[in-house]
Amino acid sequence: MLRNYLVTAWKVFMRRKLFTTINLLCIVLTLVVLMVVTSLLETAFRPSGVEGRSERFLQIVMMRMDSPDGSSVSTTPLGYKLIDKFLKPMPGVERVAAATLPSGAAVYQGERVSEMQMRRVDADYWKILDFRLLAGRLPTAADDAAGRMIAILNAATAKRLFPGAPAAAVGQHIDINGQNFEVAGVVEDAMHVNAFADVWAPISTFASSDYRNQLTGMFTTLILAESSADLPRIRRQVEAIAREVVHEDPKKWKTTRFWADSKLDLFARLTVGNDDTIDSGAGKLLAMIVAAMLVFMLLPALNLVNLNTGRIMDRRVEIGVRKAFGATSAQLAIQLVVENVLLCLAGGLIALAATAGLLAWLEHIQLIDYMRYDLNLAVFGWGMLIATVFGLLSGVLPAWKMSRLDPVHALKGAL
Amino acid sequence: MIRLNKVSKTYRTDKVETLAVKEVDLHVKRGEFVAMMGPSGCGKSTLLNLIGLLDRPGQGSIEVEGIPITRYRDRQVAKLRNSTFGFIFQSFHLIPDLRVIDNVELPLLYRSMPAGERRRLAREALEKVGLGARMDHFPNQLSGGQQQRVAIARAIVGQPQVLLADEPTGNLDSKMGAEVMDILLKLNAEGTTVVMVTHDEHEARRTSRIVRVFDGQLVA
Repeated sequence: MLRNYLVTAWKVFMRRKLFTTINLLCIVLTLVVLMVVTSLLETAFRPSGVEGRSERFLQIVMMRMDSPDGSSVSTTPLGYKLIDKFLKPMPGVERVAAATLPSGAAVYQGERVSEMQMRRVDADYWKILDFRLLAGRLPTAADDAAGRMIAILNAATAKRLFPGAPAAAVGQHIDINGQNFEVAGVVEDAMHVNAFADVWAPISTFASSDYRNQLTGMFTTLILAESSADLPRIRRQVEAIAREVVHEDPKKWKTTRFWADSKLDLFARLTVGNDDTIDSGAGKLLAMIVAAMLVFMLLPALNLVNLNTGRIMDRRVEIGVRKAFGATSAQLAIQLVVENVLLCLAGGLIALAATAGLLAWLEHIQLIDYMRYDLNLAVFGWGMLIATVFGLLSGVLPAWKMSRLDPVHALKGAL
Repeated sequence: MIRLNKVSKTYRTDKVETLAVKEVDLHVKRGEFVAMMGPSGCGKSTLLNLIGLLDRPGQGSIEVEGIPITRYRDRQVAKLRNSTFGFIFQSFHLIPDLRVIDNVELPLLYRSMPAGERRRLAREALEKVGLGARMDHFPNQLSGGQQQRVAIARAIVGQPQVLLADEPTGNLDSKMGAEVMDILLKLNAEGTTVVMVTHDEHEARRTSRIVRVFDGQLVA
């Protein structure tokens, strides 16, 4: 029976080539968009590359402070004192890292000035993230303690400043915002949210040590758990720690809150705006994304329903003949749906190839700096699942309608 | 074999109500070759569709082998059509995309039967109508007469007890029409019950019984 379905499907597709092409184009365009989005989400939120351990780390990017009467709210990055005094001593975690958010820095080389994104980070940062070292070495706790003026460049920056192999940059000196740094190492380019920067230096290289006394500032923190099972406990610990924090000006800011979030939670919190509760809104965000994807699929699916109805209507005599010779409505509906799903799966495979090409092109033109797009097996699986859902969405209704045709009318070519 | 008891059928459109068949009593016995004749629009084809369970009566009942099928569900009717009836249409109604052998195999797809067995029976049916050498052709590569023989092969491949033919020679010239008629007579002689709608008096006289229809009723 399946072989017959396949043969019939192939013949039907070949009978109306223009129709089939339009159907395929509709499917391919929709699926390419969905698969690119899926790939981006996959790259952003799944443990991969430099954030390969993200399934067991949490991050705190912002803290929220409320005035005593609740009329004023301030949202700001963390200060180093808060990380050093409250979070680093936290028991039951593998390590806690502090890093500034990326900020613009001017790099001087003779007459040339380059604008770059710089982070100052501590030694734990390099142990939580899996940067691939291309040349030289990574900073250590000893460098932090000694305040050594060393810098780490990513590969693109090293190549731009010191053309040649990454090793050519090691040992060179650069002037960043008036401070002189020796390049200690070169790491592979990375786009991930916690890793994004062109150049890194130890925190202790700040020109002033004021940062050590500030509860609010420009820092984020990464907390690495020993196991992903510890994350809920760590979240609760962080929530409790936040309650203990007393602002330097308690009359102005009475309560302080911050949350340890996974990457998805952080994205959801920033998107949905849930900064006053431990619930980041990730569930709501995922539901919104799924709903948006379904709506996005529904519109072309409706168009395909229309096209499919037209195509199946052309086959009403065939449907009448099959019914006359014993096909049930259910058998016909299954046959028509199988044909549509096959068409969508074919579209899925074409879309997959097109998506791979598009992602390679996006990576090549560096639409987003250092972004790497992977079309992995999970995306392939999602793509084919999406294609199947799309086939079902657009095939069931016309198949059901046409399978219920009265055989006498169908044989006359009428509806 | 098949009994129609006071069967009526009315077709309704938005404005018009047409009584196509009116209180018809008809008994088709096993092994008979019945020709149904009458002017165009008199209800012959409707009657044939009712006999073949392609249509349901508005009133009255239909019995197949003594079993009333009026209350049968879609699935049961489909199974009965598949096992008991074979249809031959005036316009052949072959599926143009499928090869001759695949067209003939079609009724067997709706039975639990291995593919090899289906293929063997389809080949035998085609050989029976003299088209064993045309199995891999497509319908549009055959003449009208050959296409109708393929349609006959499709109708008989499942070894049905009853063949229902709606003007099977209507689209054929006299020579090809005679060939098709010979095949039907041969099948009837081998035991298959045949009910045929025709306008051709000469063909009708070659059958065992002529039923005349006028204004939806049997007149002789």
